Amino acid sequence: MSFDLEWLRELFHRPPKPHPTVRHEYSLARGAPRGDRDEDDPHELSRTLNLAILRRLFRYTKPYAKKRNRLFVLVTIRSMQLPLLAWGVGAIIRGPVAGHNLHGLEWALIAYFALACFTDWTLYYRQLYALELGENVVRDLRMYLLEHLLTLPLSYFHRTKVGRVISRMTSDIEAVRLGVQNFLFVGLVQCGQMLSACVLMAMYSWKLFLVVLLTAPPAWALDRYFRGRLSHATRMMQESFSRVTASLAETVAGIRVTQSFGREAVNAGIFRRLAHDHSLYNLNFARQSGLFIPLLEVNSQFFISTVLLAGGYCAFHPQWNMPAGDLIVFFFLANQFFGPITVLGNQFAQALTALAGAERLFRMLDTPPEWQDTPDAQPLPPLQGRVEFRQVNFGYDPARPVLHNFSFVAEPGQTIALVGHTGSGKTSIINLLAKFYQAQSGEILFDGHEIKGVTSFSLRKQMGLVLQQSFLFTGTVADNIRLPRPTATDEEVMAVLRRLDCLDLIAALPQGLQTKVGEKGRGLSAGQQQLVCFARAMLADPRILILDEATSAIDTMTEARLQSALNRLLEGRTSFVVAHRLSTIRNASQVLVLDHGRLIERGTHNELLAQGGVYAGLYRQFASIAEGEEGPQP
Amino acid sequence: MPAVAPTPASAPPPPDYSNGALAVRLLKLTWQYKYLCLQVLFLQLLLLTLGLMGLNLTGVGIDYVRHAVDATVAAPNWPVWLPAPALDAPVMRGLWILAGAILILALMRSVLNYAYSVGLALLTQHRLVVELRARVYDKLQRLSFRFFDENATGSIINRCTSDAQNVRAFVDQVVIQIFIMLISLTVYVIYMVNISPALTLACLATMPLLWIRSVHFARQIRPAYVENRELMDQLVLSFTESIEGIGTIKGFALERQAAARFDVDNRRVAAQRHEIFRAVSLYSPTMDMLTQIGMIVLLGYGGWMAMEGEIPLGAGLVVFAGLLQQFSSQINTIATVADSIQLALTSARRVFEVLDAPIEVESPPDAQPLGKVRGEVTFENVSFSYKAEHAALAEVSFQVKPGELIAIAGATGSGKSVLMSLIPRFYDPGVGRVLLDGRDLRTLPLEELRRSIGLVFQENFLFSDTVAANIAFGNPDATPAQIERAAQIAAADKFIRELPQGYETMLGPLGANLSGGQRQRLAIARALLLDPAILLLDDPTAAVDPGTEHEIIDALERAVQGRTTFIVAHRLSTLRRANRILVLERGRLVQQGNHRELMEQPGPYRRAINIQGLDFESRQLLQNTRAPWSVRPSGAPIDPPTSDMPPLEGGAP
Repeated sequence: MSFDLEWLRELFHRPPKPHPTVRHEYSLARGAPRGDRDEDDPHELSRTLNLAILRRLFRYTKPYAKKRNRLFVLVTIRSMQLPLLAWGVGAIIRGPVAGHNLHGLEWALIAYFALACFTDWTLYYRQLYALELGENVVRDLRMYLLEHLLTLPLSYFHRTKVGRVISRMTSDIEAVRLGVQNFLFVGLVQCGQMLSACVLMAMYSWKLFLVVLLTAPPAWALDRYFRGRLSHATRMMQESFSRVTASLAETVAGIRVTQSFGREAVNAGIFRRLAHDHSLYNLNFARQSGLFIPLLEVNSQFFISTVLLAGGYCAFHPQWNMPAGDLIVFFFLANQFFGPITVLGNQFAQALTALAGAERLFRMLDTPPEWQDTPDAQPLPPLQGRVEFRQVNFGYDPARPVLHNFSFVAEPGQTIALVGHTGSGKTSIINLLAKFYQAQSGEILFDGHEIKGVTSFSLRKQMGLVLQQSFLFTGTVADNIRLPRPTATDEEVMAVLRRLDCLDLIAALPQGLQTKVGEKGRGLSAGQQQLVCFARAMLADPRILILDEATSAIDTMTEARLQSALNRLLEGRTSFVVAHRLSTIRNASQVLVLDHGRLIERGTHNELLAQGGVYAGLYRQFASIAEGEEGPQP
Repeated sequence: MPAVAPTPASAPPPPDYSNGALAVRLLKLTWQYKYLCLQVLFLQLLLLTLGLMGLNLTGVGIDYVRHAVDATVAAPNWPVWLPAPALDAPVMRGLWILAGAILILALMRSVLNYAYSVGLALLTQHRLVVELRARVYDKLQRLSFRFFDENATGSIINRCTSDAQNVRAFVDQVVIQIFIMLISLTVYVIYMVNISPALTLACLATMPLLWIRSVHFARQIRPAYVENRELMDQLVLSFTESIEGIGTIKGFALERQAAARFDVDNRRVAAQRHEIFRAVSLYSPTMDMLTQIGMIVLLGYGGWMAMEGEIPLGAGLVVFAGLLQQFSSQINTIATVADSIQLALTSARRVFEVLDAPIEVESPPDAQPLGKVRGEVTFENVSFSYKAEHAALAEVSFQVKPGELIAIAGATGSGKSVLMSLIPRFYDPGVGRVLLDGRDLRTLPLEELRRSIGLVFQENFLFSDTVAANIAFGNPDATPAQIERAAQIAAADKFIRELPQGYETMLGPLGANLSGGQRQRLAIARALLLDPAILLLDDPTAAVDPGTEHEIIDALERAVQGRTTFIVAHRLSTLRRANRILVLERGRLVQQGNHRELMEQPGPYRRAINIQGLDFESRQLLQNTRAPWSVRPSGAPIDPPTSDMPPLEGGAP
């Protein structure tokens, strides 16, 4: 049996300096240092209590002003009650008990009981109101966040990681909630408690109270010193933890690769170092707080021994005019004065987390949209469906244009097929049509209305989109189809499917239209998901249809079925199709061939083939891959 | 990849995850750290004793002052361990001794307190959590893909992060906390009984009520919290979908509906929490009231005893009152302990599930080195099933000579991926054998085996690191020359050099974005780095658009040279290029032969090729458009190649 004495050595170690190579290495491939360009870099966040953030949080309580004001009254009452109770215990011992007054003791106890009841009544409502207020504020914040995000243009979401947006909603807003519910009002009560304890002490004996004041500066200095260190330690801890999580996330996502290369041992080594590294930061935090709280306690014991000395001295010298019993009262009040310091110290880290959460949240709430509909934008009247691009120039980064002087006209009811290599600008055209992005120059006209002059909402109401990655929401198949028109009846949904000639495919699902769709479309095959998206667009019955054809492996039978559904969907609408299927291209009214953002060929399928240009080459290449240069045998 | 695990014939009984069994396992886990636990507890015992001594000294101080001022008050009970002042010494001498002793005790306490908190963090964070996380992580990596398919990424990550932390909480917030409570109650009670057994009993009369209330509260609130977590999950899901589906929402102008849907979920969470708040807010006032009743009993009964002179005023009554306050705060932690137990049990289950999951495939201990692999692959009567009733592969036998290109064809779920995953031994066949160069895979060293096989999936994960490091994933010590050579074979060298920092360009969420075709070519380069004798390609062109498809096919053309290659394919061009096609139907090998042979015999292959409506259409199109080309006098007529075996890329002549 050997006692493990490692911790004894650890006690007096300097704070750990994790190995420099470990610090930022969390990628599993070779462990090259990874550039940290995350805008959540904790260094940017303020390190102390930021009053501007507190003020802003306070503003969010405005709709609940009545509750909030009551809460402040309760907080004020409660900060007096606790010291009063403590004083009561001291006063009872000092008065009736020391004075052998049994009758007085009875009355004092009754009064004490009444005060205790009142205190607990206050406590109930203080807690209830704080919890409710916190939850209400946070509920509003959650709503504001979503509403704000919905006003941001799509470019924001292409730039921002989903995970970061979600952690605003989950961890940061939760931190704010805990901050409001637990820290803010408890903290206020604690401060008030210290204050009223001071007043009571001063009323009893201002001389002894001066002794208390003597101990305040060291407590304040300790607090100030450790505050910085603790928040730094917390931040380092969180950073190292995010490295652990990032490494794990890559492990899970890349597990197939890892196993097929037999790299488990290398990864395990990297991970162990990261986890160990994180524990050093944890340890550092424990060391800091392990130093801070005991030091505060020494300070309060110092106070007690000083009071004992000074109080005793006064009691022994009658000219100081202080009865010995006052010592007892001071002893109880001392707890009321020093207790909160420890509690506040403990809560400080939590408060910082809450504020950091609030700061990140507010930063996201304050992200200005890169552009918005102009204030004088008009709703778009019902469209015929003529669409024109005039000399459009566009780049996601204005320095690197994607579309150059792009012009074309789509007459109502035409199907426009967009053809070209990846990166030739097909998706950009779609993004511009749906007003997801704005062109740097040139005009886009819908029935002659310039796109900048119409509201996004009215434009998209007349537009149907089927994107490459069909996105289904959790709910039933029917819910997903009636997304653009939630009031649509089951009959209307079925009618749409019938028109697409695909009712049988949906009816074949386990519960037909009522089949549950899981997260990210789980439960439906890729073809079924695509079909739901078609039906969705069909139900919206838009004048303009935008279709980014999926390329994922939908099996050939389904593909043929979807093809006929697609043809029905296109009927009578102005449609833009990023085309991957030969038949779509062949049936298109116009084929636009793009190359590096320029329109290089335009015409019908047959015209373009006859030209024998780029399109003919592309087509041949494509056809040869699909066809294998040889027809099937009879 | 397969979705369900094979059930080995001799499956061990499923582990017991009842609360009792979990608690026993957690206690065993704690036992591994028993010495550290004991040290921590010993420190806590010292701390409590010192605290009590300090409190006692304060009481003695009060009695000392009262006695000095008023001789009728009984003399204080001077602690035996403290030097008493001489009888004729000035009165202040005694106070100096007491004050000094209080300070010394406080200093000792703070040193011990520091040691305690560091010791606890060392035990939990430094030892337990690191060890637990490393074990979970190590195990995770060795689990079959089934586990990763069945569990959401977030859940897997949580098992290694927050669940490991919660299991740790069982040690310090449950086991150690319970011991601390027991120790402190014992120490306090001993001290109190020493002063007055009757008063102790009277004061502690309300303690059982406190206990009952705590336990009742914990039990009452738990289902509410569980429900709240579910509602919260729903809220987060609703939010996540609004963000991930933002394109759809904006495209259909559904912002208002998305907001309305979120609002409903949001209000539901808030409303349910308001119910919890009532219970929570009621809890602490009732607990406090019970404590206050104890205090009133103390002041009444104890006050009377002090008046009668049965107990000293300071060291008795005042200290009692102080102790009672500390007592009730200890009892208050019961609710926390109950909560921690529940949390730890839930998390323990999730952690143990990982640790207990059987590793389906292990390297044999007596494996002979693999040596140079020629690449001959043999399936001998192989059957494999995920679930007993449904065979994913049935009685499959074939032999592949080194360097052959084998295409695998069949509908979704016919067993193509399963067949492929048996070769690198991601699973073992239930019946039959898979042989490499005539040796059963189960006798070969696993890591060497897998390293001699290159894999390219439909969609390939690239790590957030440099291009070079991604290619060198299988061999971090690869030289730049080796990396570039692999990239050249995979037709990736050219585009890599055009990237901002060439081979040192960062990939992933923070780095350069590659097109689907480029990603696939990097994956091919990665697979080729180790120069594997066998190449497995699981429909590598499925996820790329036809415009870039030829880039991959170019790369593959060179990659397959001199390697035994298995490729899952739908494209006719690939099928025609294969030396042999294995046609699978419901797990059975129904046909094999080259394209020409298979097209000559009736069977699923010919049927499948013939019903490809798209091919029919495009063939007609080809025929329709041939005429205008041939009549154009100036345009060069483009004749389809007529050779039997066109090159894979098939493009322009």
